[in-house]
Amino acid sequence: MDYIYGVMAVICIEIVATVGLSVFTGFTGLFSLGHAAFMAIGAYTSAILTYFYHVPFVLALLLGMVMAGLVSLILGFPTLRAKLRGDYFAIATLGFGEAVRVILENLSITQGARGLPGIKHFTTLPVAFIFAVLVVWLTKNFIWSKFGRNAIAVREDSVAAEMAGIDLFKVRMLSLVYSAMCGGLAGGLFAHYLNFIQPVMFTSILSTQLTSAVVAGGMGSITGPVLAIALFIAVPEVLRVANMWRLVAYGLILVLIMVFRPSGIMGYHELSFEWISKIFKKNTRNKAGGKGI
Amino acid sequence: MPLLELKNVTKTFGGIVAVKDVSYYIKQDEIIGLIGPNGAGKTTIFNLITGVYKATEGNITFQDRDITDANPVSIVKNGIARTFQNIRLFNKLSVIENIRTVLYREADYNLGNALIRSSKVTRIEKKLYDKSLEYLEVVGLIDYINNRADSLPYGLQRKLEIARALALDPKLLLLDEPAAGMNPDECIDLVELIMKIKRTYNLTIMLIEHHMDVVMELCPRIVVINFGQVLMEGSKLDVQNDPRVLRAYLGEEYANA
Amino acid sequence: MFLQTLVTGLSIGGIYALMAVGYSLVFSILNFSNFAHGTIIMLGAYIGYFIISSFNLSFPLSLIGAVLGAALLALLNVELAYSPLINRRSPSLYLMITAMGVSIFLENMVYVTLGSHFYAFPEIFKQSNLKFFGSDISPLDLSALVFSLVSIYALHLFLIKTKLGTAIRAASYDMTTASLNGVNMTRLIGIVFLLAGAFGGLAGVFLGIKYMVYPTMGWITNKAYIAAVIGGLGSLPGAVIGGLILGLLETFVSVYISSTIRDVFSFSMVIIFLVILPAGLMGRHLEEKV
Repeated sequence: MDYIYGVMAVICIEIVATVGLSVFTGFTGLFSLGHAAFMAIGAYTSAILTYFYHVPFVLALLLGMVMAGLVSLILGFPTLRAKLRGDYFAIATLGFGEAVRVILENLSITQGARGLPGIKHFTTLPVAFIFAVLVVWLTKNFIWSKFGRNAIAVREDSVAAEMAGIDLFKVRMLSLVYSAMCGGLAGGLFAHYLNFIQPVMFTSILSTQLTSAVVAGGMGSITGPVLAIALFIAVPEVLRVANMWRLVAYGLILVLIMVFRPSGIMGYHELSFEWISKIFKKNTRNKAGGKGI
Repeated sequence: MPLLELKNVTKTFGGIVAVKDVSYYIKQDEIIGLIGPNGAGKTTIFNLITGVYKATEGNITFQDRDITDANPVSIVKNGIARTFQNIRLFNKLSVIENIRTVLYREADYNLGNALIRSSKVTRIEKKLYDKSLEYLEVVGLIDYINNRADSLPYGLQRKLEIARALALDPKLLLLDEPAAGMNPDECIDLVELIMKIKRTYNLTIMLIEHHMDVVMELCPRIVVINFGQVLMEGSKLDVQNDPRVLRAYLGEEYANA
Repeated sequence: MFLQTLVTGLSIGGIYALMAVGYSLVFSILNFSNFAHGTIIMLGAYIGYFIISSFNLSFPLSLIGAVLGAALLALLNVELAYSPLINRRSPSLYLMITAMGVSIFLENMVYVTLGSHFYAFPEIFKQSNLKFFGSDISPLDLSALVFSLVSIYALHLFLIKTKLGTAIRAASYDMTTASLNGVNMTRLIGIVFLLAGAFGGLAGVFLGIKYMVYPTMGWITNKAYIAAVIGGLGSLPGAVIGGLILGLLETFVSVYISSTIRDVFSFSMVIIFLVILPAGLMGRHLEEKV
């Protein structure tokens, strides 16, 4: 029972990070290979605060988010200002992720590569669940507001968006900070769930997992990535496969999705009862060209 | 006093001259045509006016303000909107969201409101939804509001682009080949639409078009571009009767024949 | 000390250049960053290693085997994973995600099947260093540098002198026009990947000799990507110059400053370059067509 409990808590924590990343990658259309770094920043900031300074848990989480957001400004300011091409930006995030890990391994307050043991266990399943629901709800509101719509416009056609008076830099920056803060929150929850963190936990493997979940779930959906990350974590646990086989599967999933269904499991739809019943009824309107968001 | 004026505008791309020493103007309430063979540099001129490209030399003034080096967003805010030769819509958004996205510049709720979806947000969203409907009504897309933009037939996509440009509340509207790919009936329909929006929204319009009947119907004054330069500028009668224009379009042997 | 650092830097730079050539070839024609190229290089190194150690064949044979093997793998890669997207004219972001997927898949397949051992090539180049103006120069470094430059020059000649090379250059300027002029694009893309893979195999063997062979050695190839960016993505001379510059800078940074910050330094370099000089030193500057 404890085991299932644990898997569910991890799923909830990763949902927080994945949904945040879906705003950046799915809705704004920028590809990141370094979002694990924001989880690392959130994890270390909040853990150091609760461990060394006895700051209350929720406040520490909040400060971890703020720290991740601030660092994302440092990454985003030069790169997004320069309107880098998608792949250039991706390589920049990859470098950023590595740089953050190297720094964490060499700081004294993080105790370097050995890691930080003895962090208090604050993240219980109900806590993780509440945060996951909260973040999904906030993200849904975000996407259904002018901020989210502008992000989608930028993803769909950045030139047309600019000609429609949308400031590309501001929109992309906001999405980056939002996703970074969600990552920071997930990191903080993660640290206080495992009670031990180490820089090596936040490598590009974790970034890959998050990005794969967003791509597989659907770039333009919130529930799709939620579903995908839950499957990504639960299926290997059920099958009890070695960690490396998971990565083999992530790689294969990315390729297969891109080759056969680039819009992901959910495409641009959200998982809802209405949507499910529509699938079964084979609504005629879909044949006429599909409904927009 | 011209609304928009180009003075000796030149644009080069790595040594290749795309637009050379172009000067012309458009007055308030005018509708002018920009014609010329493919690759003459007409769309490049639109891109220079809207700030997509920066002019290598010369300057562009709009309402007495120098906008040569202004960025696209501020040019839009100043009151210039455009459509694109190869339609650029927000494809995965619905027809109405394409318009509402543009109207969001009027939405004065902040991020906090948006995140908790306060009543202020729902109220403003509703208001902008209704306002979007008005624009869709004007261009005749009211029956398609929930369709995804990329599911519309070609002609309707062009109309949606025009509606989106209108929603920016421009003073000057740049239309880049609005009749491309349309049959004669659709062209007549389009001419009526352009006349209607010009009246309704008090617009000044600059139009790139290859359908000569559309240009002749709409534009009393025409600027002819050839090889990146202004070949001639004058009334539609002047242009129709000028041998240079015929030569530019049809080549040397036809004009001499 | 200085001269030694210089030669080491140049030889690392030469290997970076060999790797960067593969990136640039693919980029020049398909306009996307093929992140799977690093994995092809890694597989090339494995092939070379197993030929030499398991079959006891000579070094030239192992090199040829690695080149052929990596070229074939690159061809398989494009046929199985990229072709469907290329034919659909998918955005380059999708191709890049696919490439990431291929790289993650293959790298971890190697992990799962061969394990994370470090395999060392048997001694090929004499360990005794050459004395040169009082500095120790390793024969490996010297031959890696010479080999890189010679093979890249050969590629350069191929692109300029042969009909096929001209077709590739034409396609890199404008794919639509090239295909209108009767160039078979599918075949051409296949050939470009064969070439890129062949250079990947070469690079893999030298990389393996220098740093040993292991599943994540493809990570080093991110440096090659950086080299390609510095030189200007899609430009062959750019790849060479970018590789040499990066190799030199990295070696000097790790010798004279600190080896821990070497990687942070390289990645900061790429960000600085992308922001200030997105077309690199020799690349074409592309303004987006509207």
